[in-house]
Amino acid sequence: MRRYFLLAASFSLLLSLLTAAWQESLRPKPIALTPPLTGQVEYCLTCHSDLPQISNSHPVQTFGCVVCHGGERLALNANLAHSTMRGGKNPSDFSVVQASCGGANCHSGTAESYSNHIQRATTSIQATYAGAIASIRYTFGVQADLKARLGIFAIQVPQSTSGITALEAFDPAQETNPFVQAFGQTCLTCHLSALPLPGSVYIRFTGCSACHTPTQSPDRTSTEQVQSNNIHKLTTSIAYTQCDSCHNRGNYDLRNMTFELRQDLPADRLHDFYQPIAQFTSCEWKLDCVDCHTRTEAMGDGNLYSTKKDIQYIQCKTCHGTLTDLPQTRTLTDPNDLAFRLALLNPVVDLKLGDTILVTEKGEPLWNTLALPDGTYQLVGKVTRQVFLFKPVRGSGCTQNGVDQSSAYCHTCHSVER
Amino acid sequence: MSNRTLSRRDFLKLASAAILTASGLLGLEGLFRFLNTQTEPLALTDFDLGPASNYPPGARTVLPDIPALLVHTESGFSAISLVCTHLGCTVESKPEGFACPCHGSRFNPQGKVTRGPANKPLHTLRVEVTNDDHLHVHTD
Repeated sequence: MRRYFLLAASFSLLLSLLTAAWQESLRPKPIALTPPLTGQVEYCLTCHSDLPQISNSHPVQTFGCVVCHGGERLALNANLAHSTMRGGKNPSDFSVVQASCGGANCHSGTAESYSNHIQRATTSIQATYAGAIASIRYTFGVQADLKARLGIFAIQVPQSTSGITALEAFDPAQETNPFVQAFGQTCLTCHLSALPLPGSVYIRFTGCSACHTPTQSPDRTSTEQVQSNNIHKLTTSIAYTQCDSCHNRGNYDLRNMTFELRQDLPADRLHDFYQPIAQFTSCEWKLDCVDCHTRTEAMGDGNLYSTKKDIQYIQCKTCHGTLTDLPQTRTLTDPNDLAFRLALLNPVVDLKLGDTILVTEKGEPLWNTLALPDGTYQLVGKVTRQVFLFKPVRGSGCTQNGVDQSSAYCHTCHSVER
Repeated sequence: MSNRTLSRRDFLKLASAAILTASGLLGLEGLFRFLNTQTEPLALTDFDLGPASNYPPGARTVLPDIPALLVHTESGFSAISLVCTHLGCTVESKPEGFACPCHGSRFNPQGKVTRGPANKPLHTLRVEVTNDDHLHVHTD
């Protein structure tokens, strides 16, 4: 009996050792990377060497993966390696963005260094949704005015030109008005922390990647990219289709407190860009949103606002001027001009010292434009790279009142028939 | 021809011995591999560039493994690090100096910042010619 027991025990031991050896043989040979930014070895490329570089500003050989994504840098088991990742596939979600993208040398620097992106983005009207919340609460008599008091998350700033320095978190369960409750339940789908609606045209990430990761094709006819949430890319070349994953996708029905999705899904740019009810000019659909709207309009300027009208300020006259005034320009004499940095991120133009570009009323560079020697202007599409030439209003046959810059006023003469 | 048969006891004994031997060898192999585990090598700080005569006066040689730019002038050898002092990207050597492809920092030929976001000059590296006339660049 003892002999049988000894044989069984020996056999078990051998089986255990063979199993261990087999498991060991299955382990991948680690591919080590020690990025200069962290100086710590990480093995992520063992499995992820096929991923495309996320952007020219974030080369994997310099940044590695862990500084942004988190995770267990030395683990070779997928579950263990991914167990402490920040934000799952998306480290730019606002719940983790400070740890992922922050840092004085990265995206939570100072306003002076133009790199306070996280502070600006998280206080922006697209993140707080404060305007929509205030508007609904005012409409249904819950608050006396349109001033923002609540946001998607609580946030405060040391000072704010709007006078609003703090927002409490909006909690539909705390609301007593049934319409506001219904709004909270059904209409909070388009802020930067909201998960997208189901459907290919709504696919986007949250946080920074909602805009900066191109989950949508550049236009509906393009085969350049398919709609996907499985993409490793950050860009400032943001197509209108990415903006339209939230904007121009439907209308709020306040009577039923529902969001009525746009039913038409045209494949051509002219009909797809805006909803059928909208009027627009030629440049409004041939260009992409980011060709005109600036970084502070989209990402905020660090102040808390009650409505997007407080932060959006680009008008027709910004580029075209008025009957009496030419659009504002700036000749680039400072090598540290923000225009150069923005042009580097999306090199559709080759800006040089001495070039004269258009600037907004707040001095923001429209770095993809150029004032030409013959008094006309050039704009290069940040997505399409298409070159547009245009003239100032001054000296033209336009009889506009330069004070009125409402879209309806300009559209009287310049709307496009669809 | 002998007519020996293996008794059940002998068979069990032999089988146990064989299995234990195989287990022992397998265990030893595991132990050997464990004891010979290679840790990640430390980053090199001393780079032997070979004979100094390979770098004649006037030569400007990009050394991608360091990365650095080795310059041989009348006053001797000098080396400047090509690691951007902003976030560590490798800067490109240009006629007018150095340019970082990641965030646009610019440096003059001496490595001083001419455009941010970097705010520190490129590091100057120590260059040494050893007794065997080999050129060494030190990054520490």
